[in-house]
Amino acid sequence: MLLVAALALGACGSDDEGGGGSGSGSSSESASKEPIKVGSLFSVTGPPAVVGEKMRKGLELAIDEINAAGGVAGRKLELVFYDPAADTNKAIDQTRRLISRDKVDVVVGGGSQSGIALAMQPLLARAGILFMATEGAREIVQPIEERRTTFKATFNDTVILQRLAEYLSEQGVGSIGFLPDTSGFGESAKAELEKVAPEAGLKLSTQSFDPTATDLTPQLTKLRRTKPGAYVAWTTTPAGTTFLKNARRLGIDGPVGLGFGSADPAFYEQAGAAGKGALLAAGKLPVYDLLPDDDPVKEVVTKFVDAYQDRYDEPANVFAAQAYDGMKLVAKAIEATGGDTSADALAKALESPDPYLGVNGEFKYTAEDHSGLGTSDVAISEWDGKRFVPADGGGASR
Amino acid sequence: MTDLLQLTFSGLTTGAAYALVALAFAIVFRGTRAINFAQGEYVMVAGVSAGALHAWLDPPLAVVVAVVLVVGALCGVLTELVCVRFVRRDDPHTVTLATIGLGVAIKAVALILTDRRAYTLPGFSGDTTLHLGGAAVDAQALWNCLLVVLAAGGLAVFLRAVPLGVALRASADDAEMAAASGFSRRAAAAWSFGIAGALAAAAGAGLAAVSPVNYDFGTLLGLKGFAAAMLGGLGSMPGAVVGGFAIGLLEAWFSGYVSSAYADIVAFAVLLVVLFSRPTGIFAAVRVERV
Repeated sequence: MLLVAALALGACGSDDEGGGGSGSGSSSESASKEPIKVGSLFSVTGPPAVVGEKMRKGLELAIDEINAAGGVAGRKLELVFYDPAADTNKAIDQTRRLISRDKVDVVVGGGSQSGIALAMQPLLARAGILFMATEGAREIVQPIEERRTTFKATFNDTVILQRLAEYLSEQGVGSIGFLPDTSGFGESAKAELEKVAPEAGLKLSTQSFDPTATDLTPQLTKLRRTKPGAYVAWTTTPAGTTFLKNARRLGIDGPVGLGFGSADPAFYEQAGAAGKGALLAAGKLPVYDLLPDDDPVKEVVTKFVDAYQDRYDEPANVFAAQAYDGMKLVAKAIEATGGDTSADALAKALESPDPYLGVNGEFKYTAEDHSGLGTSDVAISEWDGKRFVPADGGGASR
Repeated sequence: MTDLLQLTFSGLTTGAAYALVALAFAIVFRGTRAINFAQGEYVMVAGVSAGALHAWLDPPLAVVVAVVLVVGALCGVLTELVCVRFVRRDDPHTVTLATIGLGVAIKAVALILTDRRAYTLPGFSGDTTLHLGGAAVDAQALWNCLLVVLAAGGLAVFLRAVPLGVALRASADDAEMAAASGFSRRAAAAWSFGIAGALAAAAGAGLAAVSPVNYDFGTLLGLKGFAAAMLGGLGSMPGAVVGGFAIGLLEAWFSGYVSSAYADIVAFAVLLVVLFSRPTGIFAAVRVERV
């Protein structure tokens, strides 16, 4: 678990003669033969290993696709990869190595954990290297004044909660019983929903729970006194399943749902009959094949899902998509600057008014918003007993 | 009133697990004077193995439970092997510290083997909801309470009527004397840890039928079980059962009427109060010397 896997992936078929040794700084505009070095940290071992492994595969898929199409601005991409194994101190050392020894041009991927990405951010900003994080926390790109050259290819929970609140109020729900867990993931959502719910005209009552809880009946019992129209739990642990089971047992018959931390079919399957009809507020990936044909994202996702399945013989997921999108976004920016990889130039290119259509949605970075995705990229889905199906437009209650 | 009843049933459900874990603490403490902090991880290993076995081969429930009890007992015996034999110092403090390390190792191995997946079991009598006095109760809650009764009753009979149990009790009383009559301290330790493992396994199987479990859920449960054991009086069997249910109920009532975000402090607040005011717990082990 503690071993550091460091591999530098030469792109297939590229000429690597100028690869190692004396890199010529982060903004080598003239050396058109030299590859562009992409530094990356994902925890492919340690607790977030499942997430990290998918991210690395998504990133490698993007790099190989780009190189197969001739590279970026006439240069190939070369990956310099380290595994921090969920250890922030190790990640900081590795980031320093990326900056001073490997002399990478850009960094995509922040260790598969928000805490690591947050620790890497100031180092990379100071070194003048563009940082595209594939982790979730809002703070990675906020406050924006201190994050001029930091971007992320993931949803802010704000956006997901906004869409969920809108959806519930469209369904005629007047109040939410909200159950966030006491981890950073739940706490952040709690603070956000307190702002977002009133804007959507929803009354909010909240009861938190420990992420390892095995019974949420006390929380539900307490919430039930305020008679909420819908119940939503926010967690990344199996407590989400327990929530669905407990709510059903108590005879709650309004909409119940989970957030994007629970976008895994297993959580709903394990709830058995109680999972049927439960909602999920997340990106569009779980329901991509059921989207209307005029949704532009459908084609992008289909291509990505097929390519990933072909190459790795396993289904893609949202984490693979985040890293894939992150790399493609950076490549597009380098193309736009004509090969200039200085952080300021790339940031300006990423903030272009011309949106990029990725797997997780349409990225519209602005000078104020470096997370790019909006409420139109969120899908409210429903578990039909076998898979997720779009819930937008009715059928929320069972 | 309905709420109170609902919360009470919730407290009994989790309290049953705490009671089983507290019983396991008690038996190890009696047998070795050590505190086995790997206890919570046995519950996790049992819960995860039960769910995994169910998902993989789907054998009848009785088979799952039987297999898991064996797995739990093996965990216990393994602990004895690692923490008592390999450490080569059977003073209780060293053993206690070694169990902390082993607990961390067990959790790490479970994390790697399961890829963070969660596992679950169907209810012992299906997905049945009972309506008692206006409260909706998972039939599994009653099963879990029954498990506690069976375990506590079985242990009581074992320690009094079965020669091996009597020997264990004798060893807990006076290890030298018991060793002189052919029951070594190490045998006592191995049996104590094995029984503790099986008790924790019962808790794991019962919990997996209430809620999905993953590699992460044993640690806190173990600590709360320890608080329950201290409340009842470390080493006391009736104390463990009473302490377990008391912590479960206090926690549920606290979440329902005060604050659910801070429900976890209940067990540890109780632990502190007990340590300060009555370190021997409610059922201070009364030593009856019989000749």
